[in-house]
Amino acid sequence: MDERLSPDQLLSSLSQIETEFRSDVEGAADLAGLQQIKTKYTGKKGLLTARMKALSSITDPAQKKEFGRRLNEVKNIIEETIKGKELSLREGEKERRLLTEKIDVTLPGKTTPFGRQHPINNILAEIKEIFVSMGFGIEDGPEVELDHYNFEALNIPKDHPARDMQDTFYVSDEVVLRTHTSPVQVRVMEKRQPPLKIIAPGKVYRCDADVSHTAMFHQVEGLMVDTDISFSDLKGVLELFIHSFFGKETPVRFRPSYFPFTEPSAEVDIGCVFCKGKGCRVCKTTGWLEVLGSGLVNPRVFEMAGYDPDKYSGFAFGMGVERMTMLKYAIDDIRLFYENDVRFLRQF
Amino acid sequence: MKVSFEWLKEFVDVRVSPTEVADRLTMAGLEIEGMEPAGDDIVFEVNVTPNRPDCLSILGVAREVAAAFGMPLKVPDTGIQGDLPASEVTVEILDPALCNRYTGRLIKGVIVGDTPEWMKKRLEICGVRSLNNNIVDITNYVLLELGHPLHAFDTDKLFGSKIRVARAGEGRKITTLDGADRELSPDMLLIWDGKEPVAIAGVMGGEASSVTSETRNIFLESAYFEPTSIRRTSKALGLKTESSYRFERGTDVVFLENALNRAALLMRETGGGKIHEIVDAYPERYVPPAVEAAYDKVNSLLGTSITKEEMRALLGRIGISTEDRGEKLIAFPPSFRRDVRAYYDIVEEVARTYGFGNIDARNPKTELSAGILNRREINIGRIKEAVRRTGFTEVINYSFMNGADLDMLLIPHDNVRRRHVRVMNPLRQEDSLMRTTLVPSLLKNFLYNLSRGTRDIRFFECARVFIDDGGPLPLEELMLGGILFRENLPCLWKEETPSFFVVKGALDSLCGEMKIKGFSYVPSDEVFLHRGKSADVMLGGAKVGFIGELTPGVVEKLDLKVPKPEIVVFELNLERLHAAVPENLTYSPIPKYPAVERDIAVILDESLSSARVMEELKGYRSEYIERVELFDHYKGKNIPQGRKSLGYRITYRCPDRTLTDDEVEKIHTGLVAYILGKTGGELRGV
Repeated sequence: MDERLSPDQLLSSLSQIETEFRSDVEGAADLAGLQQIKTKYTGKKGLLTARMKALSSITDPAQKKEFGRRLNEVKNIIEETIKGKELSLREGEKERRLLTEKIDVTLPGKTTPFGRQHPINNILAEIKEIFVSMGFGIEDGPEVELDHYNFEALNIPKDHPARDMQDTFYVSDEVVLRTHTSPVQVRVMEKRQPPLKIIAPGKVYRCDADVSHTAMFHQVEGLMVDTDISFSDLKGVLELFIHSFFGKETPVRFRPSYFPFTEPSAEVDIGCVFCKGKGCRVCKTTGWLEVLGSGLVNPRVFEMAGYDPDKYSGFAFGMGVERMTMLKYAIDDIRLFYENDVRFLRQF
Repeated sequence: MKVSFEWLKEFVDVRVSPTEVADRLTMAGLEIEGMEPAGDDIVFEVNVTPNRPDCLSILGVAREVAAAFGMPLKVPDTGIQGDLPASEVTVEILDPALCNRYTGRLIKGVIVGDTPEWMKKRLEICGVRSLNNNIVDITNYVLLELGHPLHAFDTDKLFGSKIRVARAGEGRKITTLDGADRELSPDMLLIWDGKEPVAIAGVMGGEASSVTSETRNIFLESAYFEPTSIRRTSKALGLKTESSYRFERGTDVVFLENALNRAALLMRETGGGKIHEIVDAYPERYVPPAVEAAYDKVNSLLGTSITKEEMRALLGRIGISTEDRGEKLIAFPPSFRRDVRAYYDIVEEVARTYGFGNIDARNPKTELSAGILNRREINIGRIKEAVRRTGFTEVINYSFMNGADLDMLLIPHDNVRRRHVRVMNPLRQEDSLMRTTLVPSLLKNFLYNLSRGTRDIRFFECARVFIDDGGPLPLEELMLGGILFRENLPCLWKEETPSFFVVKGALDSLCGEMKIKGFSYVPSDEVFLHRGKSADVMLGGAKVGFIGELTPGVVEKLDLKVPKPEIVVFELNLERLHAAVPENLTYSPIPKYPAVERDIAVILDESLSSARVMEELKGYRSEYIERVELFDHYKGKNIPQGRKSLGYRITYRCPDRTLTDDEVEKIHTGLVAYILGKTGGELRGV
């Protein structure tokens, strides 16, 4: 550095440095370039650093003061500009990454799709949930069952015409594939004393198969026994169930029927869910669909199970899960449930 | 049962539309399942429940209509006027337990001829084919009209002009009206003449004594046979007729005389002839039972408050007369209502007549109960949900299989899966056994979907298998079975895990979710699995199932178009799995001090299983080893033939302070030396 420059020359050289610096910064393309510029001006051997050392050579106080002020000014400009430039270069760099690292977000994700629950079990779960929320427990019994539990103990003796109501698969004279979930009632009553509030879901078997029947299907049996249970209670519980399952506005009716293990017995119909009661193919133009069988437990059944019919009363009911599922999802062929076509199953 | 609306109107003067009649009957318990027009008539399809045989006729249905609308019932006059000649046929009941009444009339000089058109039409509307034989058609007509079965004999073919009612005894045969020769068992009730059986009582007449176009003298039978006996006979012979159907449900022992007369009069009307005096063998007169029912009991069972008077009036409407006895009533059901025997039958009749719709619904007041959802139910639900989340879709199959299914899987004869339960009357031979394994059904699901173009198949089923263990009922065990098959298709995001490990991973996830500890895999000897790619699943030292690829020998039989398909199946005992789910969980505190991780890669003999090496690593005694994790398995370049490299990450941690580098180094060096010694391996160069 030439220390022989006059104070005036020194002062004007600061303007040159400033101009040169501004043009350098303008041209800085990246952070590395900016670092070089920083060194060029404010580094140990930087241009501005050299001028700072020259400050002591000025003797005139006024000139010294003026030069010092200007020196500070340029120093500040350089520092501020570099800081600003650095910030904008960093921003630019991020921006560039965002551009170059771009992916096609519309490509599909990598998944192991969940499997599906069989529609029958969807509905079964829904039915269970409703009854459990009403305080019913869940019980279970064998699918290969003694004739005694499947028939005799339910007031269906060997030579009774009511046996014609259910086509039965026999394993031997005394052993059958259960034709309904009702035997669970008896097994539970033999084990436990009232009060009793249970449902028994499960597979049942009938020896006939056609467009609307399969040799195996699912039922949910229900039983409630206590000291003061009446037909009114039966209506209350089943209406509550139907309104939870099919919706609050669903019309319900109870009509007399016959089951050997209940008396009085009632079929429960709901207003046809397809035609809203106007009459269609599904409800055979009646506007009603049969969904449940029910009744007050026949005192003979209580006697056989060891309950005192003078003390206890109760009601039982049963429903076909396939039928409920078909109504809920508007499925028109029961056989679809057992074909297990993935194009069917994946819809649920 | 088919019922003509026009015919019905002869019995009750109903003015409302058939639809309204159908609705009222349905709501009274006589379900009208359908209505069809037939010319200018309407035919009801009536579903008569087994307890109401009295409704198996036009008269019976008319009675219900009359009760429902509160109208009088018009019963045809069946009185036969004038002096009648005495019967020339005698009747003798030798078995009053099975036949409590037998009436008959001789009609002489009848012309057997065409059936009148109006009668033919009615028979046909009600689904009975006319034989264009006035005598036979009249017996059918009266059966439909009044509900009582009748039988007409050719009197001249009755040896000794005798009718005897007795059981078959040993070694009897008869040729029935339908031309079939029938072997009879000793207890079957028969109608005999003076020498031979002439009819199977209540089921079908014999051919030899039947009415033909040459017949001139008829003996008409109207009897009461014991229901159980008729049902047994009909079942044993496999012969179900309109007669047996009604007799086995119970007929009207009093009214049967009217049916006899009605038919006799119609025969005289259409074929002339002379009606003789009735013969009536009636060992023990029917006494209507008196049924007691307390008013309060009826009301409390129904949840109603029907007054005494109302209750008696309701019963009166359906022909049940009553007497009031203060707290209770005494009911006298008519002879056609043999089903009304106890107080609860009265409850039903009151409810039915009162109208189920008029009984208020109420929500029962009962105690709260604990343990509604049992642990098993919850655990099994969660297990199924976990399997579903690993990508398997649930199927439900029939519980059936057959022997060929087991043969296909090469199941040996002494295997437990051969101890199956056989169904005596299967619908199809393929469905004659109850499943002892879920695998055959799952294979069928796989084939079904593969042939319909599905290339990625992952199914599971949760169902019972049935093992005959010699007890009265088979052992039923809930199994979880599954199948996986993926065709190697080009796909977007590479997935190179072998199928076996995909399935095993699903089972591991399942165990993790359910906190089941102690699962292990040992080589399986299931014959249908690939010996090198299968394992038995062990839990607490016992086998709970298997997982593996189907062996090529089984796959060959499937005749697939896919080369070397990897079909992985598994089956686990769900009861055992559920039992291993811990009942309670206890939290362990989160460590306060940092852990140090060190990796080690060992080259060792290929045949040494990773489970063995892991066991050895875990066997090394140090209280500071927190976790050992396998992170690499490698064979190939830089590894000698017959050997493999396994990489482990060891986590060291002390619960109450930070471990120093020196400490960790010391333990780790010890561990490395230990494992190399135990496995005969060498460190893989870094």
